[in-house]
Amino acid sequence: MSLVSFVHMRNHASDALRDAIESSMNLINFSFEKTVNKIVIKPNMCYYYHPSTGQVTDPWFVGVLIDVLRKNFGEACKIFIAESDATAMKCKHVFGMLGYDELAKEKSVELTNLSEAESRIVEIEAGNEQFKFHVPELFYESDLVVNVPKLKYMSEVKVTCALKNMFGCNAYANKSEYHKALNEAIVGINKLVRTGLVVIDGLIVSGRCTKRLGLVMSSEDPVAADAAASDLMGINPKYVRQIVLASNEGVGKRYFTPVGDFSFFKKEFPKRTSKDKFRSAVAAAYLRAFQ
Amino acid sequence: MGIIGLGYKGKTHLHNALRLEGAKVIGVADTSEKALSYARKLGVRSVYKNYEDLIKSNQLDAVVISLPNFLHLESATKAAEAGKDILLEKPLARNVAEGEKILACVENSCVRLMMGYDMRFNPLFREIKNKIDDGYFGDIQIAGATNVSAGPFSSRSDRAGPIPVSPWWFDKDLSGGGVLLDLGSHLVDFLCWYFGKADSVKSYLGYMFNLDMEDTATCVLVFEGGPIATFNIGWFSRDFLLSVQICGTAKNLSIQVAPLRTWERVGKDLKSKLGAPNCDPFYLELEYFVKSLQRDENPKPSCEDGLICQKLIASAYKNSSKKSEIH
Repeated sequence: MSLVSFVHMRNHASDALRDAIESSMNLINFSFEKTVNKIVIKPNMCYYYHPSTGQVTDPWFVGVLIDVLRKNFGEACKIFIAESDATAMKCKHVFGMLGYDELAKEKSVELTNLSEAESRIVEIEAGNEQFKFHVPELFYESDLVVNVPKLKYMSEVKVTCALKNMFGCNAYANKSEYHKALNEAIVGINKLVRTGLVVIDGLIVSGRCTKRLGLVMSSEDPVAADAAASDLMGINPKYVRQIVLASNEGVGKRYFTPVGDFSFFKKEFPKRTSKDKFRSAVAAAYLRAFQ
Repeated sequence: MGIIGLGYKGKTHLHNALRLEGAKVIGVADTSEKALSYARKLGVRSVYKNYEDLIKSNQLDAVVISLPNFLHLESATKAAEAGKDILLEKPLARNVAEGEKILACVENSCVRLMMGYDMRFNPLFREIKNKIDDGYFGDIQIAGATNVSAGPFSSRSDRAGPIPVSPWWFDKDLSGGGVLLDLGSHLVDFLCWYFGKADSVKSYLGYMFNLDMEDTATCVLVFEGGPIATFNIGWFSRDFLLSVQICGTAKNLSIQVAPLRTWERVGKDLKSKLGAPNCDPFYLELEYFVKSLQRDENPKPSCEDGLICQKLIASAYKNSSKKSEIH
């Protein structure tokens, strides 16, 4: 079973966040002993939402994480923040709007639009589906991929967290083409681009409503991280196809050992109620039938 | 009539035009092949990539223009010169100079131009307007309105995922301004419709998203012999709010028109599918436009109203303070 840590950031200050991130990494026994020269950080910048909505990774969180990584891996370590264009979102706008342009300057890291970077087309099978992904060379050259997702509900795949965040590592912009077999596609890209460390920005979460939760989660296993996130959000991971499939296909383990304040966050997370789920299901059925 | 531009608003107008009695859609124009094939599926036979080909049609009496702001001057003047009456989506133009050119062209061409300020056609807002005119509120001292949403940066409803944003929205030269021009033009026109001529305007602008145009604004309008009105607008929220407050010596009112919950939207859709009377402001707006032309009347809000609004917005920009400058 993989370790997944849950740490509460006590107040909204950079020192408190740094302590929370370090503590969450220590709880999973993350080793800084290895030689790491090049790190790619993959935040969630899915759309032009403000970080205060809980939909996208807060650049402040990434900034403090960069400090922690530099402190432990050394100042010479080269860090990239990477995201790719999507069907509805373009990096050239989102980097500025969300404040990542400013962060990259402040922290002297490279901000990369993966859709404009060199990539190779790789075929892969996942869940009996065949996919072609445009995998950026940056990932082949890096020593560590740090996955910094949000945890959210998403109707197509139930839960979106670490596994789904890696979907943005596919440089191909028209990602809606993969939505016919989204669970399988998510697993496919995770087989190609391996997460070395997951640090979840749960400072503000978007559940049935937005809530300032002050949560930092870490794991070296993206499947375990998602299973833990799913459990936290009130969904049994065994009913989340991408988690089960990813586990079956060797991306990670879906059984996790929680360390830290798991029960506190499980109680505090703004879970969807049965009424919410019923309404969503009826609205979705209506849309399928009439739109 | 012809529909020029088949973005979100253009499609709404097309749907309504196809259902409207006494009007016939002759053709549509859009640069997107996808949009044109959408129109074909709805039964529109003549589709054009170039709107100039559409306005050449002799069968056409009027056009609905729902193009990006930077194309308003060009398209409205070409349609006016071709002798077509126009329903032009707000704002009139990117700036006052362009607005004046449109007005001059409309007057010289002897055509009618109606501005697409749909709030005037919301049945609830019309009821309030009647009450204001009837003196129901007494002397109105304070009024307010709020229109906050994600603006161009999100899905148009909670049904769909995020939608792509046309690049012109990010370019101030093409859009002419931010939320003050976009949503502000709705509320400036709305408040002027309620309270008449505004004497002065002052605004406070916010730049949460680091764009070179404002995404947040609060404005104060002082009306000649009328109330002091404030309005708040924003492109920053995933939620949608449209509300109005009126405070008078006799009565006060505070109403919230949006957001509609999913259930309410489903109900609204079903009602419309079952043929219930259409209360959609866009439908009522188009219906009024067509009826005005049939009766040979000048539809309101007119091009002059659009220019008044454009001038007030220009003043609001001129008399503005950035949020960061306020201490």
